[in-house]
Amino acid sequence: MGIITVLWEKWVEFRRDFYKITVAAMISPLMYLIIFGMGIQTTSHGEPYLHFLIPGIVAMATMTGSFSAIAQNMSVQRLYEKAQDQIMVSPTPLWQFILGQVLGGSLRGMYAGGIILLLTAPIRTDLVFNLLSLFIMLLNGMVFSTMALVLSFLAKSYTDAPRFTSYIITPMSFLCNTFFSTEQMPAGFREIIALLPLSQASAMIRAIANRESPGWFGFAVLGAYLLIFGIISVVFIYRKKNL
Amino acid sequence: MIELRNLTKRFGDFTAVDHLDLTIGTGEFFGLLGPNGAGKTTTISMMSTVLLPTEGEILIDGHRLDRKASAQKRKLSVITQEYSMRQDMNMLEVMEYQGRLYRLPRKQIREKTEELLEFAGLAEYRRRTVRHLSGGMKRKLMICRALLIEPEILLLDEPTAGMDALSRRQMWSLLRKVNSDKMTIVLTTHYIEEAQALCNRVALINRGQLQKLDAPEALIRELGAWAVDETSDNDLVTRYFHDREDAIAFLSAAGEQAALRATTLEDVFVVCAGRKL
Repeated sequence: MGIITVLWEKWVEFRRDFYKITVAAMISPLMYLIIFGMGIQTTSHGEPYLHFLIPGIVAMATMTGSFSAIAQNMSVQRLYEKAQDQIMVSPTPLWQFILGQVLGGSLRGMYAGGIILLLTAPIRTDLVFNLLSLFIMLLNGMVFSTMALVLSFLAKSYTDAPRFTSYIITPMSFLCNTFFSTEQMPAGFREIIALLPLSQASAMIRAIANRESPGWFGFAVLGAYLLIFGIISVVFIYRKKNL
Repeated sequence: MIELRNLTKRFGDFTAVDHLDLTIGTGEFFGLLGPNGAGKTTTISMMSTVLLPTEGEILIDGHRLDRKASAQKRKLSVITQEYSMRQDMNMLEVMEYQGRLYRLPRKQIREKTEELLEFAGLAEYRRRTVRHLSGGMKRKLMICRALLIEPEILLLDEPTAGMDALSRRQMWSLLRKVNSDKMTIVLTTHYIEEAQALCNRVALINRGQLQKLDAPEALIRELGAWAVDETSDNDLVTRYFHDREDAIAFLSAAGEQAALRATTLEDVFVVCAGRKL
């Protein structure tokens, strides 16, 4: 029930800021697609680069959409508006609040990724996106929503949210299998980058797009991140003395 | 009944609330008074579980209050010092959100919202976004939101801060009315006359410690029911008397720069806080 309440709150927010959210979700990925995919005509493994890029951009948009929906919003609610006090004092179980935020953030990420799929649909790429791709987008969004929750609980000021984006989201966007394969990185660094959630999400969506099996390892990595950050956020909301 | 047992809150080396023991009866209108930084808001924040105590505990009807205690939290509603609301929601959305958090039926939320907004004179602004409301309107909306769930215990942290005199008096009437329906109210305020007008009992706290605890009239009687203010060289000295005759005798000897009046709770507060600060 508490989950529905949080999803309702997210829906109110989405309905009100529909145009802002939609345009914000489109601009950066669209720029990357135009500049790297269409402007600079290159190939990758004998295929047009756009075929490599689109699955990565979908995963990246999912990550950015989920993370920003939660990190920005929760930091402002907790530190500036103090609206989180209303949640803390209410009888709504706090784990339901966390789960609602994670699902709400993930749906926002899926919306951002979905926009990219729609925008690239007219391009004849022969790439495949199916229900499993959507599930990976949902899982990827949940991972980054829980990460955003944990960071928003740690934030000392509401201006910390853009910093988290600079420290985490921007490097991951460029390094994690979006624009080029992690296999091309130096040994040692490559293994670390490959274990980051966006690398796995991109690789799995790309594998499905190319009619290959996504394997199980990516799901295990994303599942592990979700579990770890989920536990941390639940522990924080129940146990942190000065929330 | 609310019990604060050995309640302590430290922020690093600073002790905001220091082993506070209080029992607040069901239906009581209880005031927490103290100078700035005395620990009032920290105490209210612990009672609403936004902060967790460093030591001690809070019991509601004998059950420990913590963030998992949904049954105890269902009895509570809080009006914080700050406007703790989503600034981008309109009034109807703020009320619906609150109702949903407390699992009220949608029909009840709608009917009660209309009733409360009408009562508070906010009905015509129901679709106005919170960030576009005046300070007084936000404060009234917070009260409507708190009352929506018909709580058994209402925690009020400076509920009339920023309100004009008329709105404040309207608020007093409202609070008296809800208290007469057996709602327990815990109030912190900087307006001492507010506490004197409303509270059955008050606790004076300073530096997180309980200094005095009694009914306002009893505290006034203890200090002396009569006060004589003497003005000299831009300085005001007040003397307190238990006997009106003694006060009049002092006044007669003091000359024209002195005036007799009834002692107020503010005198008790000033004397108590002044001694300790």
